[in-house]
Amino acid sequence: MTARGESATGSRRPGLFGLGRGLSRERGNFTWVYLWGAPLRAMHWVAAACIVVLIVTGFYIGRPYFMTSGEASAHYLMGRVRFTHFTAAAVLVMTGIVRVYWLFAGNRFERFPALFPVTPKNLRRTVRTATAYLTFRPEKQSSMVGHEPLQQYAYTILYLMTIVTVVTGFTMYGQSNPGGIIFRAFAWVPPLLGGLQVVRLVHHVLAWGYIIFAVLHVYFTLRSDYVDRVGRVSSIITGGRYVSTDETYEDYDISKVPAHPWPTPEHPDPKKDA
Amino acid sequence: MTPSAYAWTEGETLAQHFESHGVSRRDFVKFCSEIAVALGLGIAAGPRIARALESVKRPSVIWLQLQECTGCVESVLRTADPTIGDLLLDVVSLDYNHTLMASAGDAVERARQSAMAANKGKYILVVTGSIPTKEDGIYTVIGGRTAEDLLREAADGAAAILAVGACAHWGSVQAARPNPTGAVGVRDIIKNRPIVNIAGCPPIGDVITATVVHYLTFGRLPAVDREGRPLFAYGKRIHDQCTRRAHFDAGQFVESFDDESARKGWCLYSVGCKGPATFSPCPIFQWNTRTSWPIGAGHPCIGCTEPHFWDTMTPFYGRLPNVGGFAVEQRVDTIGAALAVGAAAGVAAHAAATVFTQIRRRKATHQVPETGTETENDDG
Repeated sequence: MTARGESATGSRRPGLFGLGRGLSRERGNFTWVYLWGAPLRAMHWVAAACIVVLIVTGFYIGRPYFMTSGEASAHYLMGRVRFTHFTAAAVLVMTGIVRVYWLFAGNRFERFPALFPVTPKNLRRTVRTATAYLTFRPEKQSSMVGHEPLQQYAYTILYLMTIVTVVTGFTMYGQSNPGGIIFRAFAWVPPLLGGLQVVRLVHHVLAWGYIIFAVLHVYFTLRSDYVDRVGRVSSIITGGRYVSTDETYEDYDISKVPAHPWPTPEHPDPKKDA
Repeated sequence: MTPSAYAWTEGETLAQHFESHGVSRRDFVKFCSEIAVALGLGIAAGPRIARALESVKRPSVIWLQLQECTGCVESVLRTADPTIGDLLLDVVSLDYNHTLMASAGDAVERARQSAMAANKGKYILVVTGSIPTKEDGIYTVIGGRTAEDLLREAADGAAAILAVGACAHWGSVQAARPNPTGAVGVRDIIKNRPIVNIAGCPPIGDVITATVVHYLTFGRLPAVDREGRPLFAYGKRIHDQCTRRAHFDAGQFVESFDDESARKGWCLYSVGCKGPATFSPCPIFQWNTRTSWPIGAGHPCIGCTEPHFWDTMTPFYGRLPNVGGFAVEQRVDTIGAALAVGAAAGVAAHAAATVFTQIRRRKATHQVPETGTETENDDG
C-alpha cells in the first residue's frame, strides 16, 4: 500500500482545521477481514430504525405532545401512534429472534462467548481500554479485530435492556385483552415489579437508557474511525474492514491471513481459517 | 330501613321475605335478570337465578368491620334509593354487623358467638377493613380482642369469605408506605378458606350484591382473577370500557382541569388517569344507582381497585409513579433528560479532548521527517 502523499506538517492541511488528516489513509499493509454476517448487519440497522421509531412514538404515548381538535370521530392520532409503536416493537422482537439464532449460527465474533467477556484476560482488557479512554491514550487500548470487551459489555447490557423493555412493553400491551395469550404469558410481570404503574415506569426509564446508549454508541464508533483508524462504521455496512497486517491483534492471528481484499476460494473468509 | 324492623325469620324463603316487603314478583325477576347480565351469564340465566334465590333459606352472614373507615358499609347500605340488591345485602347481614346493630357490648359479641356456633361451616363471612399485625395487633381491638384474633375465629367456621373493599383486599391506605401498623388484607392471614376480593375504595355495591347472588344461586364463589377479584366485574380495564376512550384514540387530552378540553369532556390521560392500569367495572355499573362515576364527573381514575394503589398510582395527577426515597422533587423525564444531556456533554468534552490530544500528537510525529529521521511508527 502507498504511504501518504505528504508528511511534513503545515505543508497541506486536508479538511477543516486539518481534522481530515485523521481520516486519511494509514500507511502500511492491509488486509480485509470479514467480521459481521449479513443477518447481523441487517439486524443492526433494522433494530436501529425500530428503536428510533419506538422512542419517538413511545414518548408521544407517555406524554401526548400533539393534540387534535374537532370531533373525536374525525381523528385517530393516538391510535395510529400506538399502532406504529406496537408494529415497530414486533419488528424489533423479530430482529431479536434473528440475533438469538445468530448467537449459534454466526462466526466466532458473533457467537455466544462474545456476549459475555468474563474471563480474567477479558476483564483486564476491559479495565485497560476504559483507562485508555479516560486518559486519552489510544495506544494503550487493547488491540482487537472484533469487539473490545468494554464495547461488548455495552452491547450485552443493551440486549438485556431490550429484553426488559420488550417484556414490560408486552405486559402493558396484553392488558387490553385480559385472558389472552399475551396477557397470560406476561401475568407474572406486574406482581414481580409491584404493579402495572411500576411496569410503565421501568419501560419509560429504559427509553432514556436507549437515548444515552445511542449518544455513546455513535460517539465511540466515529471516534474509533478517527483515532484508531479501524473502519468500524463501514464494517457494519459492508460486513468487514481493513486491518493492518503490520500489527498483532489479541483476538486474531493476522499472520495466517494473507493480504487479500476479499474472501476467495483460495482465501476463504476468516471465520473458517483464523 | 333498619334491619331489626324487617327481620328475615328462620324458615322463611327469600321469595316469601321479599313478598312481605312489598317487592313485586315482576321487580324480583327484573332484578334477577339484571344480576344475570352483571355476572356475564346472559339474560337467559335470569329465571334460573330467580328459581334458586326464591327458595333460599335465610343464610347466616357475619360482617366483621376491622381497621377501616366504615366507608364500605356506607357505600353498600346508605343509598338514597334502596334497591332490591341493598335489601338483599341488608337481610343477609343480620347476624352481626356492629355498625348496624342496635345493641352493643357483650350482647352483640354473644350474638356473634352463638350465630357462628349455630351455623358452623355454613355462614358467609364478610370482612371490611385491614388487619394490623405490628405490636401483636393492638392497633385494632374490639371487645378486648385483636382484629387478627377475631378474623381467625370467624374464618374458621366460614363457608366462604367476601373481603370487601381495598382494606380487606390488601390493606389500603393503612398499608401504604411506611405501613406503621403492619396492615395486611384477609388473604394474607387466612389461607385455607375460599376468599373473594371485592376490590375498590369503596367497591361498587352492585358488585357485592352480584357476588352474594352468585353464591346463593350456585353455592360457590364466582371465578376470580389473579388478585382474587370476581372476573365478571374486574375482568376488563377501565380504559377499555371508558366513555372518553374515543378522545384518547383521537389524541384529544385534558391538560388542566380548567381548560377548554376539560369542558369538552376529553380524555383525562394527561392529568394522570389510571384507567389504563385499573381493572374495574366503574364505566358500566357506575355509582349511586348509576348516577355517575369519577371519570364521568371529570376526575381521573386513581386506580383504587388495584393493590398498593396509594404507593404505585400516586401522584394521582401524574402519569408515572414517584420513585420512593429517590429525587423526591424529580420526575423520570427530568432525570432521563439530564442524564442524556450529561452523556452528550461528556461525549463532546471527551471528543474535544481526543481531537486536541490527537492533533498535538500528530504535530509531534510530523516534526520527525523534518529532522530527517524516518520511523516505522509514523502514524500521521
